[in-house]
Amino acid sequence: MAIITVDSLRKSFWVNQRRAGFAGAVRGLVSRTGHEVVAVDDISFEIAAGEMVGYIGPNGAGKSTTIKVLTGILVPSSGQVTVAGLVPWEQRRTLAGKIGAVFGQRTQLWWDLPLIESLTLLQHVYGVPSDRFNANLSYFREILELDGFLDTPVRQLSLGQRMRGDLVAALLHEPPILYLDEPTIGLDVVARARMREVLQEINRERGVTVLLTTHDMDDISQLCQRMLIIDHGKLLYDGSVEAIRERYGMERTLVVDLDGSEEIEGPLELPGMTDVQQDGPRHWLRFRRDQASAAEAITAVTSRHRIRDLTLEEPDIEGIVRRIYEGGDRL
Amino acid sequence: MLGATVARLLEDVSLYRIFVGSRLRSQMQYRESFLVMLVLGFVGLTTEFLAIILLFNRFDTLIGWSVGEVAFLYGLASISFGMAELFGAGFDNFPETIRRAEFDRVLLRPQSAFVQVLSGDFQLRRLGRILQGTMALGFAFAWTSVAWSPQKLAYLPVVVLCGMVLYIGFFVLGATLCFWTVDSVEVANIITYGGTEFASYPLPIYHVLMQRFFTFVVPLAFVSYFPSLYLLGRPEASDWPQWLLVASPLAAAALFALVAWLAWGFGVKHYRSTGS
Repeated sequence: MAIITVDSLRKSFWVNQRRAGFAGAVRGLVSRTGHEVVAVDDISFEIAAGEMVGYIGPNGAGKSTTIKVLTGILVPSSGQVTVAGLVPWEQRRTLAGKIGAVFGQRTQLWWDLPLIESLTLLQHVYGVPSDRFNANLSYFREILELDGFLDTPVRQLSLGQRMRGDLVAALLHEPPILYLDEPTIGLDVVARARMREVLQEINRERGVTVLLTTHDMDDISQLCQRMLIIDHGKLLYDGSVEAIRERYGMERTLVVDLDGSEEIEGPLELPGMTDVQQDGPRHWLRFRRDQASAAEAITAVTSRHRIRDLTLEEPDIEGIVRRIYEGGDRL
Repeated sequence: MLGATVARLLEDVSLYRIFVGSRLRSQMQYRESFLVMLVLGFVGLTTEFLAIILLFNRFDTLIGWSVGEVAFLYGLASISFGMAELFGAGFDNFPETIRRAEFDRVLLRPQSAFVQVLSGDFQLRRLGRILQGTMALGFAFAWTSVAWSPQKLAYLPVVVLCGMVLYIGFFVLGATLCFWTVDSVEVANIITYGGTEFASYPLPIYHVLMQRFFTFVVPLAFVSYFPSLYLLGRPEASDWPQWLLVASPLAAAALFALVAWLAWGFGVKHYRSTGS
C-alpha cells in the first residue's frame, strides 16, 4: 500500500534579480525583474509503507524541493501529492505528527540546550505521552549510544553525536515516515557505518518508511533496494539499485598520465578497457570491476605504456547521472 | 468549534511557557553575563532619562508639559516597548532565523508558525528597560499632582498592554518583510526604535506630518499621548470626548494586531510558495 504518492508534481520559482545597496533593496520590494526556475518538473512516483528508497541526484537537481513539498513546507505549482493520506501543504500541522525529518546540514535541536532538554521540549511540541516518550528514549539510548552526551549542550557535540541526536529528535513521536536529507554528510567512516546500521534497524524493527537523499553511493547500495534518480527537476530513473549498480556501479575509471616522451595520437587500445576521454598526456580508461581488478588494469596499461602518474575513480552519483545522459538512457 | 479553538489556544500558551522556561534555564547558566547585561542595559537607558531631566533643568516646561508629565510619557513608552522586547523577542530576532534558514524547521512542527516564532527567543536581560521605565513612572507619580482614582490605576496597565501589543505588531511586520528581503529590516527598526523615542514626548512638539504619521499610519500616539491626556488630566483632554481618549489604545492595538496578523499570514504563504 502506497504511503506516499506523487503525481505530476511541478514546482517552479521566480528568482529575483538582486539589486545592490539599500535603495536597491527598497526598489526590489516594488518592482520585479527576474526569471522562472523549474526546480521540479512533472515528477511522479509512489512509495509503499515500509520501503527504504534512495532519492539521489546532483546538487540543485530538485531533491530538497521535492522533500519540502512532501513535508508540507512548500506549496507546489501543480500536481497531486498525498503523504499518509494527507495533502501535505493543506494539512501541514496534522502531517507534522506523522513525519520525522533529518536535514544533515542543519540541526533540529536547540543549540545552547543540553540534548536531553531539546528532546523533552520536542516531547511537548509533539504531545508525546510520558510513557511512550520514556520507552522511545530508552530504546534510542541503547541503539544510538546516547548516554555519553545526553547532558551536553548541542553546540558542544561532535557532528556524529549531533546527527544521532537529530535522528532521535525526528523519531521520538513515532512517525511512520522519515525523510533524511544527507544523513551521513561529513561523518567519518565509523560514524557513517553506525548510522547506516541504525537506519536499517529502524526500518526493519519499527517499519518506518524512509526516503533518503544522499551523495554517497555506498549509503544507497547498503540501505536501499530501490532508488529514484533526479536531475534538472526530471525523474531519470525509478527502479532497483541492483540494476544501476550492475550497469554503472561496476565501472571504474583509471586515469593515467603518460610519460611525455611517448607520442600517442587518439585513444589507447587496451584489452578490456575503453579510453573514454583524452586530454594531452592524460587518458581516462574505463573498465569493469567484475572483469579486472585494479591491479590487473594497472598492469595492462604499464606493460604497454610508460606512465608517470595514475588515479582510480570510483563511480559517484554525478558520474552515474552523466553516464545516463551520455548513453541517452532512459531506464 | 469554540471548544477546539480554546483547547488549541491553551495548548499554545502552555507551549509558550515551556519554551520560555527552557530559554530562561539556558540563560541562567551564564548568570554573571546576564547580570552584567541587565545592569548595562539599565545604566544605558538611565542616561537617556537623565538627558530629559537635564533638559527640564534649563526649561521649566516643554510646551506646557512639566518634567513629571514627560517622565510619565517616557516611562509608559519604555515599559510597553520593554515588554514587547521581552515577549516578542522571537519576532525581533527573525532576520537571524531567516538568514540561518531555520524557518523550515518551524514549518516542520505541528504548531502554528506564529506561536513558535514568538516563543523562539526570550531575553531576560531586557528586563532592564522595563525596570528603568518603572523608575521613570515612579518619578512621574512623585513629581505630578495627579489624583490617581481607582479607575485610572486600573486603566494604566491596560494602556501598557495595548502599547506592548502595538510594538509586537511592529516586530511582526518587520519580520514579515524578511520573507521578501532581509536587507530592508533596518527600515522597520527605524520605525520601532524611533517610535519609542517619539512616544516619549508630547505629540504637539513634532511637525504636523510626523504627528499624522504616528497617529494614523503607525498609531503610536493612541497608546501614549492620547491616553496620557486622560490619565494626567491635561487641559488638552477637554478637546476630545473622554470615551475616545480612553478607548483609543484598545482600538489602535486591536486594529494594528489584526493588520500585523494578516500580513504575517500573507508572508508565510509567500514563503511556502517560494521557499525563500
